[in-house]
Amino acid sequence: MAGTLIGDGVTVEGEVMAEEEVVVQGTLRGRLSSTDAVSVGGSGVVEADVTGTTLSIAGQVTGDVNASERVDLQAGGRLIGDVRAARLTIADGASFKGNVDMEV
Amino acid sequence: MAAGTVIGPGTVIRGNLRGNGGIEILGKIEGDVNVEGDVVLGQSSAVKGRVSGVHVTLAGAVQGDVQGSEAVLVERGARVVGDLIAPRIGIAGGALVRGQVRTEGEAGLPPARIGLQGRIHASVVQPRISHTEARPAAARPPVEAAASAASNPAQSAAEKTQRPAERQAPPPVVPVLGKGARARKKNKTRG
Repeated sequence: MAGTLIGDGVTVEGEVMAEEEVVVQGTLRGRLSSTDAVSVGGSGVVEADVTGTTLSIAGQVTGDVNASERVDLQAGGRLIGDVRAARLTIADGASFKGNVDMEV
Repeated sequence: MAAGTVIGPGTVIRGNLRGNGGIEILGKIEGDVNVEGDVVLGQSSAVKGRVSGVHVTLAGAVQGDVQGSEAVLVERGARVVGDLIAPRIGIAGGALVRGQVRTEGEAGLPPARIGLQGRIHASVVQPRISHTEARPAAARPPVEAAASAASNPAQSAAEKTQRPAERQAPPPVVPVLGKGARARKKNKTRG
């Protein structure tokens, strides 16, 4: 897999800037920005503002989310924060608290 | 390293990274890396901060101390400015190390190699990366490097003791005046 994977059991505290896909299965506190897709796995915990092209959330995200293409909040995923994206899907069983701005 | 952590070549992290499990770093980190697992720093990696893990393999650039609870292996092409601390330390030919090397801790070693410590001076290490491969001086096997590290402080101590003990000041220059010369002069000016 090309890209960055923050595995289960690993904690990153600080700013992550990537020009590639980022997968978070561990914990990330700070800020996360990528020029590619970002996904937060089921075990992932992100306490940060997240920027990416497409964002898929199956774990927990606390922070504002900004995606140039789309945000997919999957079943079991939990998002607390504002969403700014062209498209947003929220699956049945996901929890979400925040505002949505869909740039019409 | 299927479930382990990978920091890709296009990723920059400003902050600390800790946890357990193996980690492979191909990108840049400005901060400390502290994991209870194996650490691999790829050729494209650059870390500014302390790196500690169980078995640390370096092929990239590190500015900071590197500590391995089992081993630290510095591969060809790696550039380390900082101390290396581990029970087992390997430095490959073509690697660049500037800092202290300490083989300490326990890892079932032959006792002779435990306790070798000292400073590798800049003379061993060439700061110009592009030329390192052509230099045989950098191509020391780890044991030899460790041995020279051990002998170096002894040398510098010897140099200190051989320095001329007390440099004496030159004797003062006193104008030679014969007995009664001043009196004669005095009389001359008076008269």
